[in-house]
Amino acid sequence: MPEGRPSPLIRAPSQQLGPDYRPTEEKPTATVSTAPKINNLHILNQTPQLIALLTMIRDINTGRADFIFHSNRISRLLVEEALNHLPVLPHTVNTPVAGRTYAGVKFEGKICGVSIMRAGEAMEQALRECCRSVRIGKILIQRDEETSKPRLFYDKLPEDIKDRWVLLLDPMLATGGSALMAVDVLRSKGVPEDHILFLNLIASPEGVQNFADKFPKVRVVTAFVDEGLNDKNYIVPGLGDFGDRFFTL
Amino acid sequence: MNIPSLELPLSSFAALETPERSVTPKAHYSPPWANTSIIGIAGSSGSGKTSLSLAIIKELSLPWVVILSMDSFYKPLTSEQSAAAFRNEYDFDAPEAIDFDTLVERLRDIKTGKKAEIPIYSFEKHARLDKTNTIYSPHVVVLEGIFALHDERVLDMLDLKIFTEADGDLCLSRRLLRDVRERGRDIEGCIKQWFSFVKPNFHKYVEPQRNVADIIVPRGIENKVAISMVSDRIHKTLDHKSKMHQIELRRLGQVAEDAPLSDHVAVLQHTNQLRGINTILMDPTLPREDFIFYFDRLAVMLVEQAFSAGLCYKQHTVNTPVPGCTYDGLELDGEVSAVVVLRGGSCLETGLKRVIPDCRIGRLLIQTNFRTGEPELHYTKLAEDVSKHKRVLLMDPQMSSGGAALMAVRVLLDHGVEEHRIIFVTYLAGKQGLNRLMSVFPEIKVVVCRIVGDMESRWVEQRYLGC
Repeated sequence: MPEGRPSPLIRAPSQQLGPDYRPTEEKPTATVSTAPKINNLHILNQTPQLIALLTMIRDINTGRADFIFHSNRISRLLVEEALNHLPVLPHTVNTPVAGRTYAGVKFEGKICGVSIMRAGEAMEQALRECCRSVRIGKILIQRDEETSKPRLFYDKLPEDIKDRWVLLLDPMLATGGSALMAVDVLRSKGVPEDHILFLNLIASPEGVQNFADKFPKVRVVTAFVDEGLNDKNYIVPGLGDFGDRFFTL
Repeated sequence: MNIPSLELPLSSFAALETPERSVTPKAHYSPPWANTSIIGIAGSSGSGKTSLSLAIIKELSLPWVVILSMDSFYKPLTSEQSAAAFRNEYDFDAPEAIDFDTLVERLRDIKTGKKAEIPIYSFEKHARLDKTNTIYSPHVVVLEGIFALHDERVLDMLDLKIFTEADGDLCLSRRLLRDVRERGRDIEGCIKQWFSFVKPNFHKYVEPQRNVADIIVPRGIENKVAISMVSDRIHKTLDHKSKMHQIELRRLGQVAEDAPLSDHVAVLQHTNQLRGINTILMDPTLPREDFIFYFDRLAVMLVEQAFSAGLCYKQHTVNTPVPGCTYDGLELDGEVSAVVVLRGGSCLETGLKRVIPDCRIGRLLIQTNFRTGEPELHYTKLAEDVSKHKRVLLMDPQMSSGGAALMAVRVLLDHGVEEHRIIFVTYLAGKQGLNRLMSVFPEIKVVVCRIVGDMESRWVEQRYLGC
């Protein structure tokens, strides 16, 4: 989207949040995610604690330590949700309780993480907390100053990536320019489109729409779809520059 | 673009099958330490009450026996009384010197299983100190003091009344030694006190207590027969109480067997990941390193679920770094702390700290007695202000009969935590045990990963801790 023309904002809905047993007057009201009707867009349950975590990292007054800790908690919820989309096989095991079995499942297929540098690297810790020895590839995409289009500078990915499910990591999905290019890179290495899961904390309605138009089979897992983009292509209300707040600010 | 309608799954209780509010009738549970056995030991000053109490405790060889000295209940003195006391002219050996009202109140607390704050009396200052000693959950209390059998209200609460007897000369010499050595008095003052107060009071107030005593023990600790008789009798009473407690637990279980699950119970949604992790954890051949890794991961899910199912939030609007933008969000309302039920609860601590790194954590050690199958409270250490915390997560990875959970909740209530503030977090729970817990404490919230068959052994902590 060219700069200078902000898209019309979608007003995010407000909702009273809390468990069912609690009377309505005891449930505080908060703004929850907009819910574009898009297949393969998966928005985390808007629980009060998720909203509280997002409130923390959106707050301009939150320092770096708290920003890192709380964004990591959200990333972990995203990873747990994304892993649920991987295929499993039925698998019944004996339990430590004599004579009892558990009808469980076994994970099938190998995975790897790919982070879009540098902000995507901020989500690697959460991925490692759920999958200890996971391989993590990197892709560096920067905006070209002259054309103002994203350009691939560097990639280093596992050799056998085409046989793996890929968790693509980038915390903010604004226009989606870099992420779309990253998916192109993965596809050029032979990764099937439907084996890619794109994880982000906050997305814009334009971003998720662009993804649905270009790669309808890529699953987008996000914590929140915001109201839109401003004239500088920042997500609003957003949280500012994720990479800066996590690494250097 | 149209304004979309909101169709997100917002329920925190996704796996709950019965949405209607359950109607389990509230049941009553009293912990095994309620109706505490109290033994009163009276007798003349220096007749060997303290030694006898110690001898009985030694013979009992039980945990949870407490000696309560009536010296703790001396009335605080006015300045004139205090001056008289320092001149050895205040009568400490008359019933008027004892604050029987406070004593009766504290004994009632102990008898009903509540926490009792016992005053500390300083003989050097003749005043109560600001500190108190806390007595909680004893099974036997030995109340010793010259007037232990004096007050009617106290007598009503005693299960066994003992009067010790000793020769008068022996009493005087023992008292002299003790007061000079331990209470910083001089010999002349002590003798003055003996003849002006102690001796006349003995005949007037102390000796008549013989008439209400169940047994009179001459020769103090040398009297081995009397000591073993007393100890046998206490053992019998405790065995009976333990049996009654077991019967009570079973009865609660029967009441609760077929009740629908309360809507205060949140079961984790069984996603593929969760089932996969469970499958891994169940495998008895899994290396312990992997067990710990996957269990910690699961513990985080449990704690996160407790955060959405049980905690309180308030509205909080923030400015974002994007100019002119605000966000109407939420923030936690009040402090959240945790109490782990040892030793199993410590397996959930790593997960807890990944969510609240600086969480304050109280500890309870509850062990099931392998002989009687009864849970026993060995140790309690809670934050001073736990009663003021907005929510308290009570953590134990497994519950089967619910005996330990009932006891743990009871302990929190006795320390002033309101029932609706307690969130019990567990990995595996038996349906019957869960219903039993909810029928006794319907206001608490429970977060559980899986509901399993009743009476599973506590294998989770064994696997996690490796022994």
